[in-house]
Amino acid sequence: MNLLFSISSVIAIVSTLMVITRKHPVHALLYLIVSFLAIAVVIYQLGAPFIAILELIIYAGAIMVLFIFTMMLLNLGKETIDQERKWLQPQTWTGPVLLSLILLVELIYLLSKSSSQEHAITGMDTKIVAQTLFGPYLILVELAALLLTAGIVGAAHIGQHKRRVSHRFLEEYNE
Amino acid sequence: MTVSDLNALMPLTIIAVASVVIMLLIAFKLNHKIIQAICALSFIVSLVSLSNRPSYLSNSLHQLFIIDGFSIFVLALILFSGLVINVFSYIYFEEKEENPKEYYILLLLCTLGAEVLVISNHFFPLFIGLEILSIGLYVLIAYLRTRNFAIEAGIKYLMLAAFSSAFLLFGMALIYTDTGTMQFNLIADHLNKLGMPSIIFLVGFGLMLIAIGFKLALVPFHMWTADVYQGAPLPVTAFIATVSKAAMFTVLIHFFNTIGSNRFQISTLIITLIAIASMLIGNLLALNQQNLKRLLAYSSIAHLGYLLFAFLSSNKLGIEAVSFYLFAYFITTLGAFGVVTILSSKEQDADHIDNYRGLFWHSPIAAIVMTIALLSLAGIPLTAGFIGKFYILSAGIDAHLWMLAIVLVLSSVIGLFYYLRIITTMFSKGDKHIIKENLLHPAYYILSASTLLFLTICMIWFGIYPIQIILFIRSVLN
Repeated sequence: MNLLFSISSVIAIVSTLMVITRKHPVHALLYLIVSFLAIAVVIYQLGAPFIAILELIIYAGAIMVLFIFTMMLLNLGKETIDQERKWLQPQTWTGPVLLSLILLVELIYLLSKSSSQEHAITGMDTKIVAQTLFGPYLILVELAALLLTAGIVGAAHIGQHKRRVSHRFLEEYNE
Repeated sequence: MTVSDLNALMPLTIIAVASVVIMLLIAFKLNHKIIQAICALSFIVSLVSLSNRPSYLSNSLHQLFIIDGFSIFVLALILFSGLVINVFSYIYFEEKEENPKEYYILLLLCTLGAEVLVISNHFFPLFIGLEILSIGLYVLIAYLRTRNFAIEAGIKYLMLAAFSSAFLLFGMALIYTDTGTMQFNLIADHLNKLGMPSIIFLVGFGLMLIAIGFKLALVPFHMWTADVYQGAPLPVTAFIATVSKAAMFTVLIHFFNTIGSNRFQISTLIITLIAIASMLIGNLLALNQQNLKRLLAYSSIAHLGYLLFAFLSSNKLGIEAVSFYLFAYFITTLGAFGVVTILSSKEQDADHIDNYRGLFWHSPIAAIVMTIALLSLAGIPLTAGFIGKFYILSAGIDAHLWMLAIVLVLSSVIGLFYYLRIITTMFSKGDKHIIKENLLHPAYYILSASTLLFLTICMIWFGIYPIQIILFIRSVLN
């Protein structure tokens, strides 16, 4: 258990270091995904499978996809396809794949072990999480909703484009 | 949730509902005037709703929130300050290039975040309140997004606040690892049982102190202050200087007093050092500033140092001194920023000291209000600032904190220099000032001016007869 924990922690640290040293954003993102996977494995080992899955679904899934979509939208054009082919060298993807493979092996080992011995993971299923969130901490869930409101209103304001209204005689800016 | 719970959370509910209502009104394309009025109304209603003080909180709410006299007092100050800032906002934003409407939603949400901070008794509401406040502030600071300084200030605040949130979270996690609870009073129980805190706890405590120090702009963590103050729109600067700091200071007091931080010598020592450094460095950095916003930023660092001194005396007088000083600091800071707001023009904030050369000969009332506000910040007798400082000094001497008392006196002397420099500039002859062509909104101009006069009268009145407010604070605190 301890060894597995150390391995996945080391992978998390290494891949995060790789994230901040990569020059190309997509390469950095690959490592970032590995880092999330490693953290998810760590959390799983600590006995919180639900949080581990959330980490995967929300961070490695939704947020990463958003990142990648944004970058794809930014790089439109014909030459980008050639560029992408050029970028997809083995040296860019072997690192993340190797690290993820280690994590996969670890995960398979963990799953097989816990099914045979049935010791490690107890509690913390969805029901308990839901009961806690909508029981004593209900007010905090509501506050979190307002937190998101602040974020959305803010993003809407900062991202707003000024529409330019042209006229033969006068030019003015409207919002 | 019982009825008394709903009553207790009424000030928060009103502000939250108002933010949603304003969002709907914007969808119906109502104009700036109505939105500003509804925002003001919600602050007033929320302020009034504070008067029925809850007698009892149900168990689930009691875990998360603490609504004692001090938090009610700070809530009232925050809502009052929100109201005043809202009044100044109209003339400031109506003339600006950006659409001002979303500003009011964010102002309300930031106020909500501050309110949650003030009453939190648990790490969860503390963190969520802090994040609501911070996320609102990122946008508010960069609100006039076409201006260079605004974006710079917004990004700077975003990076540093996110970083400090990480410190806070890690500190909380370490404390939770050690004690197994996130509720302030249960942490205190755990410590009482244990006697000596473990090293994990102390590290967590230190990390939390860093995050709190960042929000309060205390000295080793003060780098962002001047740039953010300068880049933010004036009403937002006033908001950061008053509401955001008071909310975080209340958290500091609640958390540290509940767990009894003065029993660890190391934490007392560190806070003492931070207080001394904030008082001295804040005032020293302000000495040579030509920009009024930056000057007020550095002076606010020093003022937070004074408040920390009152907090360190940790007796009954200490908390009274903190309350009074917060009150005096609020009305004074709002007054000073109010004058700058009124003098600002469409293109430019009146934040350079040259804008004030000979101000007295052009608009004597603004100059007099500014003079009184600056004298109150400096702590000259007959102003509220003096009584506040006196209160802090007496609380500190009561607790035998001689070293800090000496530093406070010394740094006040340094502070006097730069406040007086602005005052002499205003009374000297000269003609370099921003000329306002015509008053675009006379009614709102008069409203803002009368709010300023009200603040000024408060500054002088409570400087001469402080007993009323002192008695009021005592009655609220008990």
